[in-house]
Amino acid sequence: MKVYTGTGDSGKTSLFSGERIAKSDARIEAYGDVDELNAATGSVAASLPRQAGAEDLKLQLVQIQSDLFQVGALLATTPNSPSAGRLKPITDAHIKRLEDQIDALQARLDQLNAFILPGGHPSAAWSHMARTICRRAERRVVRLMHSQEAAEDGSTEMLVYLNRLSDYFFVLARYCNRLAGVAEEIWRG
Amino acid sequence: MDRSSSGSRKQILYPVKVTGIDWLAESTFEIRFQRPKAFEFQPGQKIGVVHAGVYRDYTLINAVQDQELALCVRHIADGELTPVLAGARMGDVFHITPAFGYFVYQSSRHPAVFAATGTGIAPFVAFARAGVAPSLLLHGVRASDELYYHEILSSNAEHYTPCISAVPGEETTATGVFPGRVTDFLERQLPPGNYDFYLCGRSEMLRDAMGIIDRRFSESRVFSELFF
Repeated sequence: MKVYTGTGDSGKTSLFSGERIAKSDARIEAYGDVDELNAATGSVAASLPRQAGAEDLKLQLVQIQSDLFQVGALLATTPNSPSAGRLKPITDAHIKRLEDQIDALQARLDQLNAFILPGGHPSAAWSHMARTICRRAERRVVRLMHSQEAAEDGSTEMLVYLNRLSDYFFVLARYCNRLAGVAEEIWRG
Repeated sequence: MDRSSSGSRKQILYPVKVTGIDWLAESTFEIRFQRPKAFEFQPGQKIGVVHAGVYRDYTLINAVQDQELALCVRHIADGELTPVLAGARMGDVFHITPAFGYFVYQSSRHPAVFAATGTGIAPFVAFARAGVAPSLLLHGVRASDELYYHEILSSNAEHYTPCISAVPGEETTATGVFPGRVTDFLERQLPPGNYDFYLCGRSEMLRDAMGIIDRRFSESRVFSELFF
């Protein structure tokens, strides 16, 4: 099966809602970053420690990858178009699930009194990468929202979700180091 | 209903019996299955057909209310699944997935242009059976005997134009037939304007059509379905 069609060779691509737009468009930049975040999430999952407890983390990450496909599809669709009505929105339930997971991970960690250097176990390092990509994706989505005349349905929840997700990856990075028995490097200025 | 592990996800599979096969052209046939209870789909959606570990996607061509599910299949002699489907007998059992896919019609104020090559006509047959009438339907084939479903397609579309391309030396003189490829028609015959294009075909057709649309109809919307 060929994975290439050549339909984007002119520098344009099709939105889910049918419009042909330049690949440099703010909408493409936004869902491209979400796609990158999804790949980084997969890297976190692939590099989790082998210790007990990692299975639950993997399930969480697979669910997040599924959520990010949903976010990507929403961003790849012109707001209020007929196609938009076919997509499932990001809701408060998605945000609540992330918050519960953040709280559960945080409860098993020591309190943080200093800045830590991103790194440690490979899964922790990838989680920090995912966190920073998530922050960039969030900035791109904010830029996209500000460039539009009308508010996008569900955009508030999408932004809250991305904001919470970067917090999740920060806590996850710390938890992965703890699980793998890798000490955190404190920034000493 | 069975559950089978396909990839990492549990996939629902329905066992379905073959209820009929009709050959539409030398290398194309329609195969029909009994419809599972509570099976629902939207015109333009596809199903996966699974047999002996081989999986292929096909677009449903029956009407949403029909008691049978029907597929239009191009027979590939050295293929893994189509020879089995082509040789199936009444009552043989295959497994199918629930319907999926997003190549469904969305009405808008722009004229709809449907363009297919070969068995890529399948979603447009389903659209026609749902009463969706495009301004123009182009069906690209190599020879006129491959214009299956032309009766329902021509009676439904405002304009139905077969595009017959490949047979060297064969003159195409029939009225209403365009001698050339679907993409030739888009390039040379379709007036400028903003359209909703629905394309279904092989990657070469999609690539060429998309290039023409970007150049000649750049404000149009495009929905495409690739088949292999």
